[in-house]
Amino acid sequence: MASLNGSQSAARGTGSLPRLFAALLLLGLILALFFLVWRPFSQSVPLGPQQQVQTINPKMGVHTRLTDEAEAWKIKRTLEMVREMGAPWIVEYFPWAYYEPEPGVFDWGHPDLVIRHARRQGLTVIARLGFAPEWARPPGATPLYLDEESYEAFGRYAAAFARRYAGQVDYIILWNEPNLSMEWGFRPVDPAAYVAMLRVVTPMVKAANPDVQVLAGALAPSLAPPGSEWGLDDLRYLQGMYDAGAKEYFDVLAIHAYGWHFDPDEPAAPDVVNFRRAELLRQIMVANGDGEKKAMITEGGWNDHPRWTKAVRPGQRIRYTIRAYQIAQEEWPWLESISLWAFRFPWDTKSYQDYFTFVSTDFEPKPIYLEVQRYAQGRWRAP
Amino acid sequence: MRKLRAGVGRRSGAAGLLALLGVGILAGILFLGRGLLGSEDVTWQAMQRRGSWRVGMDPSFPPFEMLDENGQPVGLDVDLAQAMAQEWGLELEIVALGFDGLVDALLAGKIDSVVSALPYDPRLTEDIAYSPPYFEAGVRLVTPQGSPIQGVQALAGKRVAVEWGSAGDGVGRRLRREEPSIQLVQRPTPQEAVAALLSGEADALLIDGVTLGLAQAQGAPLQAVGPPLESEPYVIAVPLDAPILQERVREALEGLAQSGALARLEARWFASPSAPP
Repeated sequence: MASLNGSQSAARGTGSLPRLFAALLLLGLILALFFLVWRPFSQSVPLGPQQQVQTINPKMGVHTRLTDEAEAWKIKRTLEMVREMGAPWIVEYFPWAYYEPEPGVFDWGHPDLVIRHARRQGLTVIARLGFAPEWARPPGATPLYLDEESYEAFGRYAAAFARRYAGQVDYIILWNEPNLSMEWGFRPVDPAAYVAMLRVVTPMVKAANPDVQVLAGALAPSLAPPGSEWGLDDLRYLQGMYDAGAKEYFDVLAIHAYGWHFDPDEPAAPDVVNFRRAELLRQIMVANGDGEKKAMITEGGWNDHPRWTKAVRPGQRIRYTIRAYQIAQEEWPWLESISLWAFRFPWDTKSYQDYFTFVSTDFEPKPIYLEVQRYAQGRWRAP
Repeated sequence: MRKLRAGVGRRSGAAGLLALLGVGILAGILFLGRGLLGSEDVTWQAMQRRGSWRVGMDPSFPPFEMLDENGQPVGLDVDLAQAMAQEWGLELEIVALGFDGLVDALLAGKIDSVVSALPYDPRLTEDIAYSPPYFEAGVRLVTPQGSPIQGVQALAGKRVAVEWGSAGDGVGRRLRREEPSIQLVQRPTPQEAVAALLSGEADALLIDGVTLGLAQAQGAPLQAVGPPLESEPYVIAVPLDAPILQERVREALEGLAQSGALARLEARWFASPSAPP
């Protein structure tokens, strides 16, 4: 009995190995099927038919926020809603660190998705590039730190982007708000250093795609005086850019035009941050012999947070936003487009930032979305 | 084969017993450990050593918190925190911060808690602990006292006042999508929306809990009907690794609610939101 039991035990023992292998094989098959079936499905939302934006104001745009939106259907739905609102332009952020995780190794999956869907909805994409990968910055530096040694590496990314999306993306913004210390890697800001970057990167982008328009500036509206640890007044910074020879290295000036609590018809003044501060930046362009170039507002707008000190009431926000679109179209021939911050976030930030949006995270249109939509349809009137 | 099965069964039974024993021991260790860890609350200990409860708030949101003419924080949250600190035998130490910096200050250990009309955020529950809500600031359906309208289902054909562009307006537009006979009476400010209801220009009102509380405290004969249509509960935030403080906050809020003290604080500050009573 013992030997019988022993042999049966041995048989059971040897039999368990094939069963283990079979189980592992089955698990492997399930995983393979999962990755084969699930991945394409998750990213295979049909593009749908080619669409066109219907609007009375072809300069209207929004800054979308799809960088961290992983689900294809949400990307598509966001862009559909932009089109349905009547805005033909979007600004979208394509962080360098996300798409070139190792030098020369690119992962274009997400940008492909965003750009294909945007174009299918009839939208024109303005691509904002920045955010240095870890390998392109000194240890401990933030992704917003770009030193001279990495200008060429950034140029290679920007050129690769321009080449890949030639014919699909005609506008590229190089870096963001370099007049803020935080956006310049917590260093003292330096217009000459920013222009030195443009001097390296712009020719690389142009060589990759001669048709692309390079946007520079994208300066934060600021009253910070020279020597401030936080940044530098955008008017001074822009003049500093021209003084450093920026004129030859960009095609369009990117402007950030926030209204804070001011009416968009409040006159511009150097010591006030309001919507018409854009006119002062334009004056600097003209004064430096750059009046032939266009400008684009790539961020801006109003906020209706109940507590934030720079916010307005929701009704004011609607009125000001529509008026801003009107001003852009009727009064500013030098402005090609106006993309307001921010259409929708992938998730609630639970801060005042949520009150810049037009659409909630679950795609519920806010009243401002519906009112702007009525404006774009030529049916808007204030209650 | 029967013997073999029996043998396997015996072994399985023994293994099961051992496994059960193991699970029991593990549970005991975890329970004991939790109990031991529960007594480790560095925030509470620091408060005891310091003799104060360091509370972060942004004093710019009447009637919850604001500055008086001497620049001192006053308001419902100040009195609420004061009552809780007093119950624990501690001084209240208020740290004035910008609203968007409050949670970061808590995470960085600069303050012990946030008491600042802070809306509950489920995304942060892995980082901080929240008290039960002490105020509901979300969108409510409001009617004049005695109105037959007792819920959104009774709004067909009715005129509903909203602040144009607000969250209440958003809810109103959503309801109108489902029931097109609802007429929205849009007004530029929340006060004008309340006035539209009181003057009879509207049959109901969709407004946030703070505006409603202010109107009621000023004597407007209004009532909220039904549950919040969009919830925004205000809570107190506490460090995640502060189990004693979490429990004390919960107990204190419960006590203040049961005794009616919380309701009295609301009545007092909503009635006189811009200046200390």
